[in-house]
Amino acid sequence: MDMVTMNIIESAMVAICREMGVNVQKTAYSTIFSEAEDFTCALASPEGEMIAVAEYCPAQIGGVPLLVRSMVKEISLSNIKKGDVIVHNDPYRGGLHTPEHTMFKPIFVDDELMGFAVTIGHFVEVGGMVPGGFPGEATEIFHEGVRIPPVKIIKEGKDVPEVWKLLLANVRTPRGNYGDLRAMISAVDLGESRLVDLIKKYGKKTFRTTIIDLMDYSESRMRSEISSIPDGRYEFEDGLEDDGIEDKEYTIKVTVFVQGDEVVIDYTGSSPQAKGPINATLGVAYSASFNAMLNLTDESIPKNSGCFRPIRVIAPAGTIMNVNYPGSEVGGNTETHPLIVACIFGALSKAAPNRVMASEGTTHGCFVFGGWDEDNDQPFGAFDFTYVGYGGRDFADGNDATDSINGNCANTPTEVFETRFPWIVEEYALRQDSEGAGQHRGGLSISKTMLCTGGDMLISQMTNKHKKQAWGLFNGQDGISGATLYQASGQNNWQTISEAFGKVSPSKYSNVPVKPGDRVSVKAPGGGGFGDPSKRDPKAVVEDVLEGFISSEKATIDYGYEKKWINKYGDTSGIVDKKHVND
Amino acid sequence: MRHLVGIDVGGTFTDFVAFDPQTQKLDVWKTLSTPKDPIEGILSGLENYDANAIEAVDHLRLGTTIATNAILERKGSVVAYVTTRGFRDVPFIQRGKRKSHYDLTWIKSKPLAKRRYCFEIGGRITARGEEYEPLDENEIKTLARTIANDPNIKAIAVCLLFSYVNPIHERRVADIFSNECPDKPVSISYSVLPKWKEYERASTTIADAYIRPLVSHHIGRVEEQFTKKGIGKRVAVIKSNGGEMSLDAAKNAPIQMTLSGPTGGVVGAKHISSLVGVEHLVTLDMGGTSTDVSTVVSGRESFTTSFEIEFGVPIQIPMIDIRTMGAGGGSLAWIDKGGMLRVGPQSAGAQPGPACYDQGGNEATVTDANVVLGRISPSNFLGGSMQLNQEVANQAIGKIAESINKNIDQTALAIVQIANNNMIGALRSVLTERGLDPRDFTLLGFGGAGPVHVSDLMYHSGIPSGIIPNHPGQFSAFGFTMTDARIDLERTTQMTSKAFNRDHANKVIKELSQEAVESLNLQGHKGEINLYRSLEMRYFGQNHELEVPISFDEFNDITILSGWEQFHQAHRDRFNFDIPGEIIELISVKLTAVAVTERPDLPTITKGHDKPEPVGSRLVTFDEGKLETRIYQRDQLKMGHSLEGPVVIEEPASVTVVRPEQKVLVDEYGHLLLGKIASTNR
Repeated sequence: MDMVTMNIIESAMVAICREMGVNVQKTAYSTIFSEAEDFTCALASPEGEMIAVAEYCPAQIGGVPLLVRSMVKEISLSNIKKGDVIVHNDPYRGGLHTPEHTMFKPIFVDDELMGFAVTIGHFVEVGGMVPGGFPGEATEIFHEGVRIPPVKIIKEGKDVPEVWKLLLANVRTPRGNYGDLRAMISAVDLGESRLVDLIKKYGKKTFRTTIIDLMDYSESRMRSEISSIPDGRYEFEDGLEDDGIEDKEYTIKVTVFVQGDEVVIDYTGSSPQAKGPINATLGVAYSASFNAMLNLTDESIPKNSGCFRPIRVIAPAGTIMNVNYPGSEVGGNTETHPLIVACIFGALSKAAPNRVMASEGTTHGCFVFGGWDEDNDQPFGAFDFTYVGYGGRDFADGNDATDSINGNCANTPTEVFETRFPWIVEEYALRQDSEGAGQHRGGLSISKTMLCTGGDMLISQMTNKHKKQAWGLFNGQDGISGATLYQASGQNNWQTISEAFGKVSPSKYSNVPVKPGDRVSVKAPGGGGFGDPSKRDPKAVVEDVLEGFISSEKATIDYGYEKKWINKYGDTSGIVDKKHVND
Repeated sequence: MRHLVGIDVGGTFTDFVAFDPQTQKLDVWKTLSTPKDPIEGILSGLENYDANAIEAVDHLRLGTTIATNAILERKGSVVAYVTTRGFRDVPFIQRGKRKSHYDLTWIKSKPLAKRRYCFEIGGRITARGEEYEPLDENEIKTLARTIANDPNIKAIAVCLLFSYVNPIHERRVADIFSNECPDKPVSISYSVLPKWKEYERASTTIADAYIRPLVSHHIGRVEEQFTKKGIGKRVAVIKSNGGEMSLDAAKNAPIQMTLSGPTGGVVGAKHISSLVGVEHLVTLDMGGTSTDVSTVVSGRESFTTSFEIEFGVPIQIPMIDIRTMGAGGGSLAWIDKGGMLRVGPQSAGAQPGPACYDQGGNEATVTDANVVLGRISPSNFLGGSMQLNQEVANQAIGKIAESINKNIDQTALAIVQIANNNMIGALRSVLTERGLDPRDFTLLGFGGAGPVHVSDLMYHSGIPSGIIPNHPGQFSAFGFTMTDARIDLERTTQMTSKAFNRDHANKVIKELSQEAVESLNLQGHKGEINLYRSLEMRYFGQNHELEVPISFDEFNDITILSGWEQFHQAHRDRFNFDIPGEIIELISVKLTAVAVTERPDLPTITKGHDKPEPVGSRLVTFDEGKLETRIYQRDQLKMGHSLEGPVVIEEPASVTVVRPEQKVLVDEYGHLLLGKIASTNR
């Protein structure tokens, strides 16, 4: 194994993926990938192994290997020609959920297939029963938008017009989707040409042996990381509060077996699949399991399929962890994914308490809305999400206002939001007291209150933890639930969506009408605390009170705070302390 | 023209470059910096200059890291932040992203203002610039008095929603504050950064207020001391955009100094590009702990408005796009948990420095590897003023060699290759990731360590030509002597090709031009001012803009159409596709105003009629193996001299290492031209 060549080829491949990502981001139309980076760019071997990936969206990274393997199952390698581009989004063929589209482009050197350039991106509009792709009350995959099995959208360098027409005829915003498809194609084109150059520079043989060595290397790194976790059987469970269809809870049960340098993550015992769209596909079960393990291990391990070899995932079919056709599943990727990760952290908190965090809010908040864009005389759809509080840790508080762990998306600034959409945002704020107390407290979540100013719109949502809470660890307390509240024009009282519109679930609903003068307030759940609140440094308590993150009332209840602490422990200079050591 | 001095105040050294136009003599020297009070180091350094010449110094330009360090080390003032009701948490929420995906240890950065000093006021402007809710003057006056009476608060930052469309509320608020608390400077977002996206604008405005008292104090000290000593009729500081500004202008816009020091190298590069006749340059400024890369494309610097001084603290004023990476001569070599050899980003720093410095460091660094390979001579480092310990370097590299089971030479070579590969990644980020082809570029290497690596980097990144300028160790200060006065303005002017408000767009162009020209006039630039305009555009629905330069100063039937067509073309050029017939969205109008200042003519060197004589030879290890290599002294090389690698060219503050078969040519100014440019310039 030539470690030096490996290091060089690996970083060159990651740079290629990053460069592909720059192309996608700069040219895409959906704000969810242009602004929020909800996309991933990767390189794969002909066998479907992911050989390199750039850091864009975590939920998609773990999904790449299964996607490539599913694609080549349907289109045999001998039918894949130079210049082809294949598009795919089908959750029942290795996909994550319908909004997530994947493009593959084969990479040939001297007529020999050397691999694939892969880009996955989240489209805001995919057809189906609601504008914006998140029907909280879907019960079948067909409600969730157009399904695209792996098909060639470009054949040997030429557009396939039939496919383009079919795709664009089934969505509300063909103009935007056209732009998104073009953006992704430009990225795989770039990935292809860059990787061809790289392979030619080092030769096919060196390249091939190097990527095998590279995956072996990542595997051995992952094995040694797992070895450092004490052997044992660790269980945990948590639930989704409902599925949007029935008012009952669904359990995720995880058993993590650590033995030597391998780990088995078993979801046996989880609830049967739900009628509503909270089910995980097999792709999500894998992706979330891998996401958790990558968070618990050394960040510097090169990310490729080798990392995943020592991890076995058991997700029984017909459960919310591996949905059977034709169940609905759009929230599996946004709500169930982070809850799965939290459950694995919960299980391993017994084995490696210093590596995990208490539960974060575990929801992407997916608030979607659509209507008619008068200025441009066309339908519009939009996806907005809210930030949760993160869980406290052994060594630090949970971060405030952070995207749940399945994503790493940037928000849409209010000045962009109001320019584009008929709302006035009246509040975009941290939720005081939303955190769970602890020696290291949970993070605060956010609250966003909007006033409808335009024509009639339909809103839908796929979120969770309006009834449940993010749990604390080691006597840390639970965070506060989220809520979505509605105030009709001219009224003063706020109601939940269930109260106002008779929906089964306050957090998962489809096509609720709002009109000018109505208000909607979306509040995300706060993070759980870590460790006993009585052990919290009084200086930190006082600082939170002075900053208004926590009210003096709550501080008194949780920590026994008294006003005289300010003189004793408070830093009243107003000087922002030095940045944290590990920033 | 009288004497011109460029001063670059760095962390360890303060560099000086002085130019005497009568004699065409360029003097270059350095002194130790005095971080506690930088002016001390500057004054003592100037005393080293010829005493008579000091009298003759007319124009003095200062590059300083005072603003950068104040923010990085969080040593600014207590700021009161005032914003629209409902939005005081914007600086705390930030954009909601984590710094990296898989790091549970990450702790979110704090903004530069405490939340207890973040205040909300009523009043609202809409996205279209209309007043939706008026200001409540009494509420603002009451708040102003509260702030006036709080002795902790030293500066005020105001950022209201949509002020970039209509600043009427922000201006009124600033007036009230100036009246009610005249002792506390007010920064308003419309003046600092009239651009959409409230978090970035707020962060930049808060940073401006945060450093304002400190920068004012520092600039005041400079003025006072220089006046006292009678130095310099015209003293200026270097801005983040590479231009200079007067001391008064700096006091009013301290945020413009955020990236002052490192811009000198890029400005110098721009000058070299026109002098040598090279269109596209990529700069590589490699020092002890870090390397800066940037580009000069078609003779112009590249700019960015998306700079973050640390993750989560954006400062988005227009600045030269310099990417910094943690790879330098002092970068440490180490073995990761999987047995892979890695280099950096940890560094041995100035203390203890590389093992071969023999100051107590025993870990292998890139410099140690270069010593082992024979590329750096232990007896001729820094012109012989510092003796390196070859034996200690061997031991340090030897330790690494044992753990990866290679011999010492192979290991040293691997360390250099990996460090080079890290730098190639940085070069890619400013070239290929921006759609630029390395084959069209020339690599300009400077900083103490740059010339050691340029030849290898050219070879491995596909850049055909290279240049090593004179005095590569003080190149940034040299750049300051070449700079112009420059103002970059930008205003968000969002509209689409379908609903284009021509009058408004023309008004914006006119206002920006006036503002820039007036400001330059005020700074004493009465001569010719060049204006450059550009539009930031995208397809309607995209979220990132392409900047398209325009040659017209007014939108009319013809120019509007040509603007849209230029955008389609730019999109094709950059991303390999366009969408004909698509609606185009204009986001911002940008304007650059440059008052060209006098600049020195560089001295030329004598022509060499003989062949250059090496001062010796030694074994140097290259990728090809250990080769007997001739050593030259740079100051003995004359115009027209040509060499072929493997050679090593030594000078007081640096060493140029040339790979086998690579050509070197010395031009009339003494620049070392490497590779293709050396063959074509003969």
